[in-house]
Amino acid sequence: MNFWSQALVIARRDLRIEARAGEVTGVILPFAAIAVFVVPLATDTLTVRLADLGWPVYWLVSLLFGMSVALRNSATESPTQRRHLLLLGVDPVARFAGRAGAAAVLMIAVMSVTAPLMVLFYDPDGLPPIALWAGVVVLFSTGLAMLATLAGDVTVGLRARSMLAPLLVAPLAVPLVVGSARAVESVGRGTSTLGPLMLLVIADLGLAISAIVTAQPLEEATT
Amino acid sequence: MGDAVVDLQEVGYVVAGVTVLTSITLQLEPGEVLGVAGPNGAGKTTLLSVVATLLAPTTGSGTVLGATLGTPGAKAVRPRIGLSGHDPGLYADLTLSENIRLWARLAGVPERAADDTLARVGLAGAADRRAERCSNGMQRRVDLARLLMLEPSLLLLDEAQAGLDNSSEPIIDALIDRCRATGGGAILVSHDASRLATRTDRVETLVDGALGR
Amino acid sequence: MTSDTTRSWVNPVMGAVSVLAIGAGLWTAFTSAPDSEQGNFVRILYIHVPSAWLAFLAFGVTALGSAGWLIRKKLRWDRLAEASAELGVLFTAIALFTGALWGKPVWGKYWDWGDARMASTALMFFVYLGYLALRRATPDPTQRARRSAVLGLVAVVQVPLVYFSVTLWRTLHQPFTIRPDGIQMDSSMVVALLTNLAAFTILYVALLVARYRLPGEVAGTATVPAGAAVTAPNLRSEP
Repeated sequence: MNFWSQALVIARRDLRIEARAGEVTGVILPFAAIAVFVVPLATDTLTVRLADLGWPVYWLVSLLFGMSVALRNSATESPTQRRHLLLLGVDPVARFAGRAGAAAVLMIAVMSVTAPLMVLFYDPDGLPPIALWAGVVVLFSTGLAMLATLAGDVTVGLRARSMLAPLLVAPLAVPLVVGSARAVESVGRGTSTLGPLMLLVIADLGLAISAIVTAQPLEEATT
Repeated sequence: MGDAVVDLQEVGYVVAGVTVLTSITLQLEPGEVLGVAGPNGAGKTTLLSVVATLLAPTTGSGTVLGATLGTPGAKAVRPRIGLSGHDPGLYADLTLSENIRLWARLAGVPERAADDTLARVGLAGAADRRAERCSNGMQRRVDLARLLMLEPSLLLLDEAQAGLDNSSEPIIDALIDRCRATGGGAILVSHDASRLATRTDRVETLVDGALGR
Repeated sequence: MTSDTTRSWVNPVMGAVSVLAIGAGLWTAFTSAPDSEQGNFVRILYIHVPSAWLAFLAFGVTALGSAGWLIRKKLRWDRLAEASAELGVLFTAIALFTGALWGKPVWGKYWDWGDARMASTALMFFVYLGYLALRRATPDPTQRARRSAVLGLVAVVQVPLVYFSVTLWRTLHQPFTIRPDGIQMDSSMVVALLTNLAAFTILYVALLVARYRLPGEVAGTATVPAGAAVTAPNLRSEP
């Protein structure tokens, strides 16, 4: 069985489990929607323009809830499950790719729901073209999914995991946040879109390389 | 040594400053079934993990199915090793059929064969039930069905009988018979030596990480 | 692993050398000419700049230790990574603190988002706080070495990108005219800066060596049998 078929089997497994468990659609997504809704209530709308807050809130919510998606309980494999995959000869990088891929798909779903809500509640000035937004969301989700899956793997089985993994992810996710925010706002400002997009691509590539290099030693830690 | 299924020479395993296994030397010849008995904490599960190539020995050396332990080559023989422990490792949200089909797909086994195996262990009627709604005994049977399906050359059973009713015993016998007949090998581990005696050719005792008959 | 009982002269000698070096650094820092615009506040930079340099050096050494562990699987590489990360966090904190202290009189505020270097240094501080938190949370030495080595490598790939992205983020902000590296320097100031860079580096090496030589937890070589922790109960009370 080749690399991509293995990754696909793993990704389909995670998506099927999510379809049954509903942790993202039933818990994380509603929570993210409320977060978008609450910020205006905590803002003095007489002095602060909500339109200016829309995109920052969107990226913050995408970062925080994207991490929750990647670290969701229903996607945490037990030691026995990991052992089974090891003995079946599943390539550790394929396993990583499958899990990060499934997480990215779910993140894209969350960000596709929170985006119209943000536009509705904040009415930001000048929206980017849908294609640009979609491209940025894909690059952002892919990078964040890889980073959070890596952080999930280094903290697997630790008692402090639920807070430790996000602590590891947040500062390292800054290139993804900056690249995404810059790319989306570039249309309104007339600044370069290519630069921020390149930053996103490089960040994604860097994370992919990190994952390939570290998948093997991390896999040894699973038994 | 030659073509022994398992050949361990003076193998030791130390983790976090604690010696779990010391100087284990054992051979498993083709067609042989070995029992390892020992009290809780004697290192039985660790020994199986080392034989399964999942843990590299910290001292000593060994080969399993011709591959040297602790080298990248050891990974190549993993698909020929069948390991089953106390935890069946099913995905709680997936049905029994989805669980076994997942392993089948990754092992390159046709899905039809996976469903057949489920029927062979008497779970055809529960195939579409989620694992979380099945008893532990049923889940253990699915785990044994996995081994029937994968047809490993080396069978490693950790407390195989635990949680299984009498009607499940023939599954274990079938797994062991297959291994014997095909020139593979099996290691059964239990805290209860009397349970091992009927199925195995010989029984070794493991105490404080060391073998002694 | 090197023996900790031999070469007992190393720590005192390194300590004495670094005390002399820091003394020389302080002397040049206080005797050099004041800056034409910042006056005596420029002297803060003689601590700030070397600390920031050491922060980067320390994290580079952590990445080196991480890579070393992944390749060699010897715990001494992990000890090196750990020792350097702790020093890195310390020097990053000093760099941030002195930077804020310098910013108040010169920029008019302690924190300024106009300086990309401040923001990326703060982010690096958080990255390595997370690194140390991960180490604390992982009880088994081998697991700890493996996991923190992975994080150390991921971090070193991402940190340059963090720095670059903050620079990209800042491009629309008005850069400040006075920056710690844009000062017209008198020769006595150059001497002071270089002396302090050298002194701080010596101090870092001395602390690194001392921390590395601290007997850590031993793993993989110990000989305590698994059952040794439990002995027969002794229920007789002593008079």
